[in-house]
Amino acid sequence: MRPYMTAAVVTASLMITSQAIAANADALVRAAFNNWRGQSSQTKVTMLVHRPDWERRMTIKAYTRGNDDALVRFTAPAEDAGNATLKTADGTWIFNPKLNQVVKLPPSMLAQSWMGSDFSYNDLSKSEELLTDYTHKIVGQKTVAGHIVYTIDAIPKPGAPVVWGMLEVKVRDDGVMLGETYFDQNMNMVRRMTTDKVGIIGGRPYPVIMTMHPADKPGRWTRIETLAGRFNISPPLYLFTLSNLQNPRH
Amino acid sequence: MTGTIRLLLPLSWRNLWRNPRRTVITVLVVGVGLWSILIFAVLLNAWSQSSRDTTVSLMTGEAEIHAKGYLDDPTAAHRLRMPSGRLAQILGSRQTAAWSPRVRVSAIVQSEYKTLPITFVGVSPTRERMISDLPRDIVAGHYLSGPNDQGIVLGQDLVRRLKTAIGRRVVIMAQDATGQLRERAFQVIGIYRASQTAEDEFTFTGIHVAQALVRAGSDVSEIALDARTRNELPRLITALKAAAPDLDIQSWETLAPLAYAVSTFFNSFILLWLWVMFALMAIGIVNSQLMAVIERVHEFGLLQALGMQPRLILCEVAIESVLLIGVGVIVGIAAAIVSVAAFPNGIDLGFLGRGAELVGAGRILHPKLAMGDLVLYSGIVWIAGVVATLWPARRAAKVSPVEAMGRN
Repeated sequence: MRPYMTAAVVTASLMITSQAIAANADALVRAAFNNWRGQSSQTKVTMLVHRPDWERRMTIKAYTRGNDDALVRFTAPAEDAGNATLKTADGTWIFNPKLNQVVKLPPSMLAQSWMGSDFSYNDLSKSEELLTDYTHKIVGQKTVAGHIVYTIDAIPKPGAPVVWGMLEVKVRDDGVMLGETYFDQNMNMVRRMTTDKVGIIGGRPYPVIMTMHPADKPGRWTRIETLAGRFNISPPLYLFTLSNLQNPRH
Repeated sequence: MTGTIRLLLPLSWRNLWRNPRRTVITVLVVGVGLWSILIFAVLLNAWSQSSRDTTVSLMTGEAEIHAKGYLDDPTAAHRLRMPSGRLAQILGSRQTAAWSPRVRVSAIVQSEYKTLPITFVGVSPTRERMISDLPRDIVAGHYLSGPNDQGIVLGQDLVRRLKTAIGRRVVIMAQDATGQLRERAFQVIGIYRASQTAEDEFTFTGIHVAQALVRAGSDVSEIALDARTRNELPRLITALKAAAPDLDIQSWETLAPLAYAVSTFFNSFILLWLWVMFALMAIGIVNSQLMAVIERVHEFGLLQALGMQPRLILCEVAIESVLLIGVGVIVGIAAAIVSVAAFPNGIDLGFLGRGAELVGAGRILHPKLAMGDLVLYSGIVWIAGVVATLWPARRAAKVSPVEAMGRN
């Protein structure tokens, strides 16, 4: 992975045609996703939801496979433990242990807040949208602490089912995602995700702390800190099934 | 007989104006009473008409055809083929004024800031214009140009809530015929104005685009239609039901029960008001006529002594009432006509804001004095008024001349 990436970056910086730069931008975004999730991943994460009046910390175990499958299970605090969300190519389901019931999320719920945070179910289930529905273009680069940080404008492809006007993505040359800013179609900022700390997780450089700030609600943010992670494991086949959602073996 | 009347008529008329103040007061009582009844009838009729028209011309049409089960679960799973055979024949016949096929499913609209539930409607613009007023109520941008138009037309209030605008993109999510979630971006090309509920609910695009999104092939969700005249509607529905027994065919009365209830309720309310007003009027009329009779007991005695039969006295007093109430009725009608004529462009309910929509009325009421109502209500007031004065008239006729003339 890494040698290919470096080669792509070098080639692109030498080429002048915009097509090559675009391809390079694509590669960077893809590299960021591969770095973030790998073929598959298993991470332990805390989510801190901050509001002007209160703050709340939750602990999560998350599994991903490919671009489509994700299983997220809350492990703490006690009142949230056991809540889980499963996302596959077929849809999104939530499991509530108190009801002992699996509910398929109706489309209207997908944009709602996920466990009271500044993320929506859509953020969870559409993470690969950035790869498929946008054209990417490098608009700037800067050297920070020995790394080149690329700023990439992601413009929705014509007809893509995307509401944003543009995403501005910051990716480090080794594929670490450093930030994502969402703009509306008038190019006003709607929300902004920043990487506050880069560390080594699962043997790779990784955005350890990421924070999501909604632009119109000052004093509200959600911070995700990855505590541990393993990548490119072979998750058991039953992991992303409804049966495992309800009766967890993982 | 005519001779008698020719004798009594001028007598009664002159008697009326012997006490002009009392007569004017009675005329005013009758006039104002009738005016209020007529104005009430006009306003409530306009209101119920408007509530029906708003419903019918908004989307419903006078009747709608659905697949069985659609009304309970408005998804792409319940759909019908474009009409063919006998059904198409009836829809194409002179019985039907217009019909418009639609794809109509529950969906979600998404902007950068909001995600809201809506009803996603695919229409064929030329046909839709003949059924619905919405295509004419565009306040910004333009309506769809054809069945393949890929733009979307949203309501004013929805645009505000989504914080979007003409030229911007929104995403529609809907379930297709197999229950799979489908989504597509649409550019906002037009904004319409209607009731707030409608603005928040309905979004429009070309019917073929909607069919493709929900994978409905060439099927549709509903067909809205208008009969050539409103009276022919029941017959048309019967014919349609016979032609397509496996489809769900209903008229606006059952599709929009609120609008129907409003129009029925108002009709009863007018009658109620009529009788309340009439009771008040009758008290005034009987009172003044009774006074008029009692004051003239001496005179009635003299007339009888001169040879006038009691029957004719009864007649004379009755004619007086007919004239008196008649003048009142004419005054009332004239006042009502003038009042209605004062609003040639209708009454703008804008001052009520969106409150008027609660009872289903449109923004502008168009008061119109119906000839039938005019004749009916005036007739009732006139006849019932005269009947009420028969009691004082009978009293006058029963006066014995000796007794009457003996009084001072």
